[in-house]
Amino acid sequence: MSEAPALQVSSLFAGYGRFDVVRDIGFRVEQGEAVGLLGPNGAGKTTVLRAIMGLVKHRRGTIRVGDADVSALPPHRIARGLAAIAPEGRRLFLDQSVEDNLMLGAFHLRRDRNRVQELLESVYALFPVLRNYRTRRSSFLSGGEQQMVAIGRMLMSDPEILLLDEPSEALSPVAVDNVVRALIELRRRGASLLLVEQRVDVAIRLCDRLYIMTHGEIVDEMNPETVRQEGLGIINKYLG
Amino acid sequence: MKDRMDGSRGQISLSAGVPTGRLAPVRRARGAIFVAAYLVLTYGIAQSSLNLQALALVAAVFSILAISLDLVAGMLGLYSLGQGGFFAIGAYLTTIVAAQYEVSVFWLLPAVLVVTGVSGALIGAMSLRVSGLYFAITTFVFTLVLTVLATDLSITGGLQGLLGPAFPDFPDSLAPLGTPVAWCVMLALLVAIALVWNIRRSPFYPVLLAIRDAEPFAEAAGVRTAVIKVGVFGLSAAMAGAAGWLFSFLGVVSPGQFDWAVSLNILVMVLVGGINTTLGPIVGAMFVTMFPAVVNIDPWLQEILYGALSIFAITMFPEGVVGLAKRRLAALLKPMARETAAAETPMAAPQVARTVEADGAPIVECRGIEFGYGVGPKVLRNVDLVVRRGHIHGLIGPNGSGKSTLANIIAGRLRPQAGNVLIKGVPVTGQAPSERARLGMRRTFQAAQLVRELPTSRNVMVGLYNGVPRIVRRAPVWPLLPSGHRDAASMLARAEQALRAVGAGNWVDARVGDVPHGIEQLTQLASVRVAGPEIIVLDEPATGLSMSEVDHLARLLGQLKAQGVTMIIIEHQTRFLFPLCDQVTVLNAGEVILTSTAEAVRADPTVRQIYLGEG
Amino acid sequence: MLQFVLSGLAIGAIYGLMGMALAISFYVTRVINFAQGQMMMVAIMIVSALTAADISPWLSVLIGLVCACVVAVLSYVLAVRPILAFDRFSFGWLVSTLGFAVVVENAAAYVWGPTSRAFPPILNDISVPIGDSVLTAQQLLAIGAAIVLTAAFELIRKRTLFGKLGMAIAVDPEMASAIGANTTAVAIVAFALSGLFAGVAGVLIGPSTFANPYLGDTFGTYGFIAMMIGGGTEKPAAAMFGGLLLGVLAEGANATINSQASDWFPFLVLVVILIVSPRGLFSSGSALLRLRPARLAPGRPVAG
Repeated sequence: MSEAPALQVSSLFAGYGRFDVVRDIGFRVEQGEAVGLLGPNGAGKTTVLRAIMGLVKHRRGTIRVGDADVSALPPHRIARGLAAIAPEGRRLFLDQSVEDNLMLGAFHLRRDRNRVQELLESVYALFPVLRNYRTRRSSFLSGGEQQMVAIGRMLMSDPEILLLDEPSEALSPVAVDNVVRALIELRRRGASLLLVEQRVDVAIRLCDRLYIMTHGEIVDEMNPETVRQEGLGIINKYLG
Repeated sequence: MKDRMDGSRGQISLSAGVPTGRLAPVRRARGAIFVAAYLVLTYGIAQSSLNLQALALVAAVFSILAISLDLVAGMLGLYSLGQGGFFAIGAYLTTIVAAQYEVSVFWLLPAVLVVTGVSGALIGAMSLRVSGLYFAITTFVFTLVLTVLATDLSITGGLQGLLGPAFPDFPDSLAPLGTPVAWCVMLALLVAIALVWNIRRSPFYPVLLAIRDAEPFAEAAGVRTAVIKVGVFGLSAAMAGAAGWLFSFLGVVSPGQFDWAVSLNILVMVLVGGINTTLGPIVGAMFVTMFPAVVNIDPWLQEILYGALSIFAITMFPEGVVGLAKRRLAALLKPMARETAAAETPMAAPQVARTVEADGAPIVECRGIEFGYGVGPKVLRNVDLVVRRGHIHGLIGPNGSGKSTLANIIAGRLRPQAGNVLIKGVPVTGQAPSERARLGMRRTFQAAQLVRELPTSRNVMVGLYNGVPRIVRRAPVWPLLPSGHRDAASMLARAEQALRAVGAGNWVDARVGDVPHGIEQLTQLASVRVAGPEIIVLDEPATGLSMSEVDHLARLLGQLKAQGVTMIIIEHQTRFLFPLCDQVTVLNAGEVILTSTAEAVRADPTVRQIYLGEG
Repeated sequence: MLQFVLSGLAIGAIYGLMGMALAISFYVTRVINFAQGQMMMVAIMIVSALTAADISPWLSVLIGLVCACVVAVLSYVLAVRPILAFDRFSFGWLVSTLGFAVVVENAAAYVWGPTSRAFPPILNDISVPIGDSVLTAQQLLAIGAAIVLTAAFELIRKRTLFGKLGMAIAVDPEMASAIGANTTAVAIVAFALSGLFAGVAGVLIGPSTFANPYLGDTFGTYGFIAMMIGGGTEKPAAAMFGGLLLGVLAEGANATINSQASDWFPFLVLVVILIVSPRGLFSSGSALLRLRPARLAPGRPVAG
C-alpha cells in the first residue's frame, strides 16, 4: 500500500458554463481516513464529488487518487479501481436486480472471477439483507435498501476512495442508522471515505475531519470532537 | 426617465421619451433598404430565362417551407416532419379545385390557408400529448399517410400527378414587370420573412422561447402554453399550405414532391442553415434546392458530394451556418457584461399605489392535501395549511419531507390526489398554473427556469405577459404598429427597472447563460416582481447564494412585504428564513408537524430532533 | 390462409431484423440511424458482386456481413458521435445520418450502376410444402434466423454482463460511465451489431429482390415501421414482434384486398397502433399491457 493520500485535491476550480461553481478547493483524505464535506444546499459539495469522478470538467487544479493523477481522465477510467461514487438519489439501474447492480460495479474486474466473488461476498456480509434480495428488481427496494445497494456497488469496484453524496437523504432514522453502522464497519476495514452531508450528526459519527463549504469555497476545517464538545451550534454559523 | 405605474394590471404609459427609440430610425432605414433590394432582385428574376426562374422560384417556395418549420422547431422546439403533408394539401387542393371548378386561383388561397391551418392546429394539439421524438414521428406518419393517399386515389392522379393551374397573366399595364408568378412567389416569401422578423422583434418572442426552454416559467407567468403551441403550429401549417398553393403554379404536382423525404429535407434546410434565425432557413433552402443545378457533375457524384457536405456542415457547425455567423458577429460587436460584484444596493422600490391591507385574512389555504406517486408511500398526507394575507409563511423540513411537492401543488404544477387548494377563497385545485397567475400568484423555481440565450431583461419581460393586452395578436406586425413600439419600450423599461430594483442593474443586457448563479436568482425574482403579484411562492430562493447575496435577498423580501405582498417560502437556510417569517410550518415525511411562529418552531423539541442540530 | 400467414412471417422476419437493427443503435445512443437501410443494401451488393466474380456464395455472405458492420461503425464515428459530443440532446444526427445514407446509396449506384443485378439464390430454389401451403427454404431460413438472432440478442442483453451494461447505458449513461462503462466503445459494438442484423436481413431477402442500390430506403422504412409498431424504442426485441405482425398483416392485406395493398397497408397499421399506443404495442404504459392483471410489488416496508 503506497503512502500517498487516498485523495488529494489542489486548487480546484470547476463549474458548468462560464462561471465556476467551486473555487480554489484544496484538501486531502489520507489512507484509511474519513473526511466530511458539510455545507448548505447549493454550496458546491456535489460539484466537488462530480469533478473528482470526472463528470464535471474542471478548469484549473489537480486531483490525485493514490499515486494516479486523475485530472484529465474520463469517468470510466477513474471508476476502474481509483474512485467510486454513490451519488445523490442513489441512481441504481432500477430495471435490474440487486445482484446485477452489484456485478456491474465490478465490471472492470470481470475477468478475475474469484476476486469478484470475494467482493460480492463481502458486500453481502456487510448488508445481509441484500443477500435475500439478490434477484429482486431494485425498483422494488425501499430507500434504505437502495442505499445499501449503492454503497455495495461502489465497493465492488474495489476503489481507493469512496465518494458518498448525502447517503442519509430521504431516509428514515432507522435506515440512516443502518447506513452509518455499515460505513463505520467499512472504516474499520480500512476504507477511505469522502462524505458529503447536510446532516451534521451523521458526519460527526463517521468522520475524522470536517470541512465546511459555503458559496463554492471551503471556509473552515473542524474536528468532530470539537463539535461534539462545543455543541452543534458551532456549525450553525455556517449552515442555515 | 420616469415610469409611472398604477397598481392595476391595466395600461402602462411613459411620461417621457422612448429610450429604445434611439435605434428606431436606423432600423427603419435598414428595413427599407432590404425591401428595396429585394424588389430589385424580384424584378431581375421575373425578367430572366425560364430555367433560372424555375430554379429561383423553387428555392423561394422551399424557403417559405423552411421558414414555416423554423417557426415551430426553432422558436417552440417542436420538431415536426409534417411540413410535407401541409405542403401537399395546399398544392393538391389548389390543383384539383382549380381543375374541377371555374374558380379564380386567388380565392383558393384563403381556402388553403384555412384547411391547412385547421389541420395544423389539430396536429399541433397532439404535441400536447406526446413529446419530442414521438411527436416528430407522429408528424412523419401524417406526411406518410398523405403521400400514400395521393399515390393511390384517382382524383390525385396517382404517381403521375396532376398538372397545376396556370397563373393568371398581368394586366397589360403591369406586363413590363415580367412573369407574374415570379412576383407572386417572391412577394409571398417577403411576407413570410416579414412575419417571422416581426415576431422575433416583438415581446412575443421571449414568450415563445420561454415555452421552448422553460415551460414551467412561462406557465407560472400566466402564459397559456397549450393554446399558443396549437396556434403557432396552425400558423406554420398555413404557411406551408400557402407554399403548396404557390408550388402548384410551377408545374406538375405529384406525390414524390411531398413525401417524407421532402419533410426531412426541409428539416435539413433549417438545421444546416441555422435553426432559430431569420435567414438561416433561406440559406439552407438555397443550398438544398440549388445544389444539383450549381454543381453540375455526374449525378451520383453530385449526390455523394451533397451528402458529404451535409455531414460536414452539421458536424462542424451544429448551430447552422447562419447561427455560427450570428454568434461570431455578436462576440465581435458586443463588449462582455462587466463582471463586477454581483449585487449593488437596490434603489428604493417605487411605492405601489394599491394598498393591500395585511388584514390577516386567509389568502392561500390547503385542506387535506394527499399526494403520492402511484405505488408506494404517500409524499404528502392530510396536509393543512393556512397562509394569511400580508404574511411571510415559511415551509421547512428535511430533504424528502415533501415541501417542494407541496409548493408545486400550491402553484398548480401538481394535482393532489385528495384535498383542495384555495386562493383568496376560490378553489383552484386542478387548474393550470397559468390560471394561478390570473389570480395574482407567481412563483420562483429552485433551479432557475429561464431562457439562457436571451438577456435578463427579455426574460423579465415574460413576467409582464399578462399585463399587456393582445401581445399575441399584434406580434406578426409588431414593428409596424405605433402601439407596438410604445408597449415594447415600456415593457423593456419596466423590466430593466425591476432588474435594477433587485440589484441586477449591471446585467440587463447580459444573456442569462452568461450570468452567475446569484444573478439568475435575482432575474427570477425580478420577473415575478415586475407583475405586481399579490402572492409569491419561492422555492429555496437562497440556494447557492453567497452570504452577502442572502442578506440582500432578505432585504428585498422585506421590501415586498412592506408593499403587502404575501409570500410562501420553502427554505433550508433557517438563519435566513426565520427572521422574515410571521409563521413557519414544519413538514416531515409528508405530514405537518407544527405550524407556529419562528421562535416557537425553533424551540420545539420535536423539530429540533428532526433536524438534529440544524438551525 | 396458412399460406399468407407463413409468407407473412417470412417477410415479417426481414422487417423485424431491420427494425431490431434500428432499435439496437437507438437503444444505446438515442439516435435513429437513417443510414440503417444502407447497411442492408451494402451486404446485398457485396454478395452480388463477389459471387459474380466467382467467389463462393458463403464466403461472399461472410464478407458482405462484415462490410455491413464496417459501414455501421463508420456511420457512428462520422455521423453520430460528433453530434452527440457537441450536445447529447441535439437533433443534428437527423441531418448527418441522412447525409451518410445519401453518400452510401449513391456511391453504390456509382460503383455498381442503378439497375438490378443477380443475387445467388442461396436456398430460394428449394420448396418446402407445409400442409396446403408452400414456402421456399429461404423463407424458412428467414424465419429461423429471425428467431435465433432475436433469442440470442435477448439472451446476451439480459444474461451477460456486457448486455446488462448496455441496459445500464440505455437508462442512465452518466451513471454507467461512473461505474466504468466506456460508452463510446459500447456504442461502437451496438452499431456493429445493428449492421450485422441489417446485413443478415439483406442476405435473406436478396434472392427475392435481387441486388439494387436503392433497396436501402424501402427496407429502412419498413424496419422503422416495425420498430414503432412493436415498441422497439424501449426494448429492441419488441421490434421483431412488430415486424412479424407487420409482415403477416401486409401479406393478409395483399391476399384479401388487392396486390397493391401492401404498399399502403403498413402505414395504416402504423397509424392505428400509434393512436392506440403511441409508444408501440409492447412498451410500458401501453394500453395492451394494461389489460394484464396488475403486478403488485412484493411487500416492502413503508419506511426504512
